[in-house]
Amino acid sequence: MKFTVQNVSKLRPRIGTLSNFGERKNGTLETPMLLLHSQGGQIPHITHEVFKLISKDAHILQIPLTSMHNFQETLEQYNGTITDFIGSKESLSCITFHDPSNITRQGHHAKNKVPLWTKNGIVYYDAPMYCKVLESYKPDMYFFISDGDTNKGSQQKRIQKAVDTTIHFYKDCLEGHKKSAILKNSFAMASIAGGYCLKSREKCMDVMLKDSEIGGYVIDGLHNNGPEIEFIPFDEVKSVAEFVMSKIPENKLMCVQGCWNPVNIVKFIQLGVDLFDTSYCRIVTERSSALTFSVDLQGELEEYEINLREHKYADDFQPIHNTCSCFTCKNYSRGYIHHLLTVQELLGPILIMIHNIHHYLNFFDTIRQCIKENTLNELEFILIKQFKNYEDSRKKNTAEISTFSEG
Amino acid sequence: MSPKKPLVFNIISECKTSMARVGIMELPHRAVDTPVFMPVGTQGTLKGLLPEQLENLGLQIMLANTYHLGTKPGAKILKKAGGLHKFMNWKGALLTDSGGFQMVSLLKLAEITEEGVKFQSLNEQKAEVMLTPEHSIEIQNAIGADIIMQLDDVVATTVPDKDRIEESVHRTSRWLDRCLKAHQRPDDQNIFSIVQGTLFNDLRTQSIHDLIKRNVNGYAIGGLSGGESKDDFWKMVILSTSILPKNKPRYLMGVGFAIDLVVCSALGVDMFDCVFPTRTARFGCALTMTGQLQLKKAKYKFDFNPIDKDCTCVICKTYTRAYLHGIAARTPVACSLLSEHNIAFQLRLMKCIRDSIKENKFPQFVAEFMLGVYPDKDYPTWIRDSLAAVNISLL
Repeated sequence: MKFTVQNVSKLRPRIGTLSNFGERKNGTLETPMLLLHSQGGQIPHITHEVFKLISKDAHILQIPLTSMHNFQETLEQYNGTITDFIGSKESLSCITFHDPSNITRQGHHAKNKVPLWTKNGIVYYDAPMYCKVLESYKPDMYFFISDGDTNKGSQQKRIQKAVDTTIHFYKDCLEGHKKSAILKNSFAMASIAGGYCLKSREKCMDVMLKDSEIGGYVIDGLHNNGPEIEFIPFDEVKSVAEFVMSKIPENKLMCVQGCWNPVNIVKFIQLGVDLFDTSYCRIVTERSSALTFSVDLQGELEEYEINLREHKYADDFQPIHNTCSCFTCKNYSRGYIHHLLTVQELLGPILIMIHNIHHYLNFFDTIRQCIKENTLNELEFILIKQFKNYEDSRKKNTAEISTFSEG
Repeated sequence: MSPKKPLVFNIISECKTSMARVGIMELPHRAVDTPVFMPVGTQGTLKGLLPEQLENLGLQIMLANTYHLGTKPGAKILKKAGGLHKFMNWKGALLTDSGGFQMVSLLKLAEITEEGVKFQSLNEQKAEVMLTPEHSIEIQNAIGADIIMQLDDVVATTVPDKDRIEESVHRTSRWLDRCLKAHQRPDDQNIFSIVQGTLFNDLRTQSIHDLIKRNVNGYAIGGLSGGESKDDFWKMVILSTSILPKNKPRYLMGVGFAIDLVVCSALGVDMFDCVFPTRTARFGCALTMTGQLQLKKAKYKFDFNPIDKDCTCVICKTYTRAYLHGIAARTPVACSLLSEHNIAFQLRLMKCIRDSIKENKFPQFVAEFMLGVYPDKDYPTWIRDSLAAVNISLL
């Protein structure tokens, strides 16, 4: 796989392409783009068969190791690739260590090892073990193992350790990558650790930026994953992101993971970040909400999202969104989805997830269009307005609930 | 010109050995090939599958439950939505039950009187509610299924009290009259009546004779699959199919195990329904022609075969047992995947039954099928007996 920056004259924000996917897969992908977040090899709630109703375009599935751990022994004996095994031959794969949609538990560190939280408890990984597992996966892209257990509140000592472990991992992973006939052909993404300390970030990058084998970098260690990432104010991460982005060679693919809200996604893109994931769609779906924010620069502002559990939708036979062309909106009503949610039927989250992924992929189409037309600032402006309305009403609701419970 | 009948049933082929037959049942929303298995979409949805996927599988008819739909979303909303077909975006045929069976089975406090089934509502007020034949039809008219069921007086097959069973036979006939009278949409919905009489030959015979006098387009064989022995079960089925008019469809309620479908098709049943294929999928069980696979078992961990190499469904073409082993009963998606295979299996089985009848090979099909399930030929007595009663001998 090869990454090429397209608009070299203006690097931030930028359009890039991923191409050369090997013999089995054709096509070109344009960045900024989304990895399709999966668990146990499937997009949450949606089978590969159903996903084809949303999009037939080429895509990369993000496969967190933590959700696949129970297949380890099986995969060692399996002949095909990870995407063959999970039943999605036509997908490209990107293996990550953690699942961005779930909170990664903190602590439980061990020297030069990192804990993987699986359904059967902790499993400690070091780089050689990780590389061995990856060889059985034969991924198209993968992240180097890292110690990303830092956030805004982390102490210097923890950050220090995270950087040391990550650098150690980096060296081992790079060696494993070069030595392995399988991994050599896979697109390697190195993880930059160091929390919110610029010096620590620099220390990490001093080791990592020279090697030509590395196709891109992940800004790791900003958070511990899970739904709370949605409400991290961009000001908190801005200086770290700007600092890292200023040091990275411009031909490298840049990635930030997690359930960031659309406003912060655009802000990262303004700084030159290329790669994100759809874990946000999962957390919105889990709260029974459908994304309805508008990305139309000429159109009206819209409600950010609607919660289909609300009783007012019981006899509302309109689609989630009138102008949406997704499979759900073309065939199903708010009232039907409300009913499915009320009686806890599996089809409820399936229909919402189809809409949310469609909406988010469409959002990224618009982002790329805006970069090409030089209108990303306008898009950011309307997103800020819509997201702020949502945040305000959310705060108001939370306040009302707490007043009510006090009373 | 008289309005088109809401049900036209044509028998296109009959087995020369057994009582099995192949028919086409034309309903307002779709023509249905019989014998047919109808999966159960209790709350207006079939466990984790889109109606579009079901259409692709070739599903022609499914069942929905009146009790559940009458509670949520309720008749008012279904009416406003233009009926269940529109509400759930299902273009095929639908059948709804009367709601009575759920009352009696789900609600401990149900009490049956001549007026109807009295029960304590599950809502917060815990009010006493009465489901009458009229009310059941009113809800079913709002749902708008192609086939609707009369409210019947259900007695468990394990109840020994013959007086009570006789009462239920007569009451079921009286309730049928009330249902027919209350029915507001006779031009596009068919009421089926329900044969009662549990395990008593004379009562079941009487029930059928009473029901035949009324004008309905199809008959259900009720009061079975309630814990009676298989030896009793098949005798009641063949008794019913022997007396029921040949030119109308016969529906055996609550039956869906592969073996039962094969035997009861041989006994002349045309329609079946059961929650089993989708319910069992949730627990990681996949159906095949030779039995069930409990995919959670450790022996599938390194098994890179499909569930069934002869199955042409998307699941069998896409996934290995080893992969399904790792996700079975763990994720909602696994439930969708196994439900899809299990429904595909039921449909394939019914197609095999129909095709073999048409090709005049049904007795061979039955014998080979049973040998596949019982390779050691240790056939249960009831299977030997029931098939012998329709002149089919096993290998």
